[in-house]
Amino acid sequence: MKHAKQSKLKIGLTLASLSLIAGMLPVPVQAFDYPAPGDFAQGAKEWADNCGRCHNIRGAKELRDDQWITTMFHMRLRAGLTGQEMRNILTFLQGSNNPSTGVIVKTSTATGSATSGLSGKDIYSQTCIACHGADGKGVLPGVPDFTRKDGRLSKPDATLLKHVTEGFQSPGSPMAMPPKGGNSSLTEGDLKNVIEYLHQEFGS
Amino acid sequence: MKTSIFPLKPVAFAVLTALAALPAVAAADDLSQLRKTVETLQKQLQEVQKQLEEQQAQAKTEQPASRADVEQLQKQVSEANEWREPNTLVHLAGYADVGYEKTQGNNDDGSFTVGRFSPIFHFQYRDLVMLESELEFEVEDDGNTNTSLEYLTIDLFMNDYATLVAGKFLSPVGQFRQNLHPSWVNKMASAPPGFGHDGAAPVSDVGVQVRGGLPRMGGVRTNYALFVSNGPELSSEDGELEGIDAEGFNKDAEGNKVYGGRVGILPIPNLEIGLSGAWGEAAVSKIDGNEVDINDEGKRDYKVYDADFNYQLGSLGVRGEYVKSKVGSTSKGLAASGSANWTTWYTQAAYKFLPTKWEAVARYTDFDSAVDDRDVKQWALGINYIFTSNFIAKVNYELNDGKNNSAADDNRFLAQLAYGF
Repeated sequence: MKHAKQSKLKIGLTLASLSLIAGMLPVPVQAFDYPAPGDFAQGAKEWADNCGRCHNIRGAKELRDDQWITTMFHMRLRAGLTGQEMRNILTFLQGSNNPSTGVIVKTSTATGSATSGLSGKDIYSQTCIACHGADGKGVLPGVPDFTRKDGRLSKPDATLLKHVTEGFQSPGSPMAMPPKGGNSSLTEGDLKNVIEYLHQEFGS
Repeated sequence: MKTSIFPLKPVAFAVLTALAALPAVAAADDLSQLRKTVETLQKQLQEVQKQLEEQQAQAKTEQPASRADVEQLQKQVSEANEWREPNTLVHLAGYADVGYEKTQGNNDDGSFTVGRFSPIFHFQYRDLVMLESELEFEVEDDGNTNTSLEYLTIDLFMNDYATLVAGKFLSPVGQFRQNLHPSWVNKMASAPPGFGHDGAAPVSDVGVQVRGGLPRMGGVRTNYALFVSNGPELSSEDGELEGIDAEGFNKDAEGNKVYGGRVGILPIPNLEIGLSGAWGEAAVSKIDGNEVDINDEGKRDYKVYDADFNYQLGSLGVRGEYVKSKVGSTSKGLAASGSANWTTWYTQAAYKFLPTKWEAVARYTDFDSAVDDRDVKQWALGINYIFTSNFIAKVNYELNDGKNNSAADDNRFLAQLAYGF
């Protein structure tokens, strides 16, 4: 039997008003020195592994950076995450929300066709695998299956490079792939290497 | 700043007026006087011209300085530290739902319904502590509004692996009540029988718990929750135990705490298996709807056992839970009676038809209550339309097989709009 006190509608309206007031409090924040930064790529994997198990995955842009902080501390308790796992996921969400300030993978933003020295396979394993999976079929609902003959890899390389460079949201996917997969240190040469690796590994 | 020649106009007008006023034939003295007057006016005109030029020059030098001031001010405002990194964060979350339901075979013409409005407040001080509270507003059939405190806890983040949670919390026993019951999370419009405010699974409790995630061991993730609480109270009807009120009492009336916990293991990503339970004592506080002195009633053993799982494989999600609550017998008190058990389990599968927004859901539940009229075996089938990740439309049909002529035997149609925020 439910144990709840009957109260007048007036009390309910008062409490509801308080809710609305709390929700409308302005929080013009830009950056926080807490919690400590986590690992973006690891956060992407942990986000993919945990959040969709209980509820529809919410995209990074559905909340502000400061709202993600309270939300992730709340979810740390609900999902039984460690503090580090929570910080990783928070870094991933904030980084995806605002790639220019939140991506922690490396500090510099690289351009040009020179490469970082990593192979396409190395970059895929470090940056892409969290969402696209080791088999290229995608580990999240809405993430494209690279192994399909008429799938994403059938598009021209110029289109793929544009999507990887600028970010892209597939139909049905809960959130967009962040620019450069969230790793701003990748150069155009690195991205071309990754695309070449995708064709070799998963293409027909 | 724009300059103007308008200041010269009155002077020129005065000169012309003076000249026009000269008589046609003037005397030599008058001409001398007039010459002086004109010279005086010329001087005044030159002074005015000089002042004007000075003003123009000054305006030219002030203009860039003024812009620099504005830019400086803008920079100072943008770098103001007052709200840049606040130590306290305030966040409002929660969920609500509205709907329609019609019960078959009960002369029910169907009714529009308001489910629950459940705002959740988060107040957080840095990464040290969080206060979180969920209120619940619910409109009853008679139009009155029920309010209740679903939970209110202060969470102290002690380290990466342990958080102290104190207050009224959702029961850590099982998964459905603490993680899956919000309407925007629950893929069905109703809770499985026995998992609502009606049955075998404990809802909430008042006490202290420690919970968190543990370091990975060989790729296996583990989480845990350990708690001690005031525990439930019991109700009796017609000389038999009728229900377990496990919704968080603010006083441990019978004087014995309940201890419990849950361990969740994730052997592979996206699969969680949980085992949980609670042990303690409880006593009857309500007989046939009337409150009685709980100290006059005999204490009974109280035990809960629970097992749950939750698995997500791409677009397919499968979950389930089994819970058994046992209450012992007593020979003391007005409600002296034998023991009673409540058992329920459910399993559910949901599949998203991507890239569309449609989702199909099927759920089976078997609820065995201590009160036979509430026993039910239920198939629930549903179609969902996921507008956004947090806004879902659900249409369900429940095939209920209960005791003949009991309310639990009636099939039911439900439609619901659920929104999480």
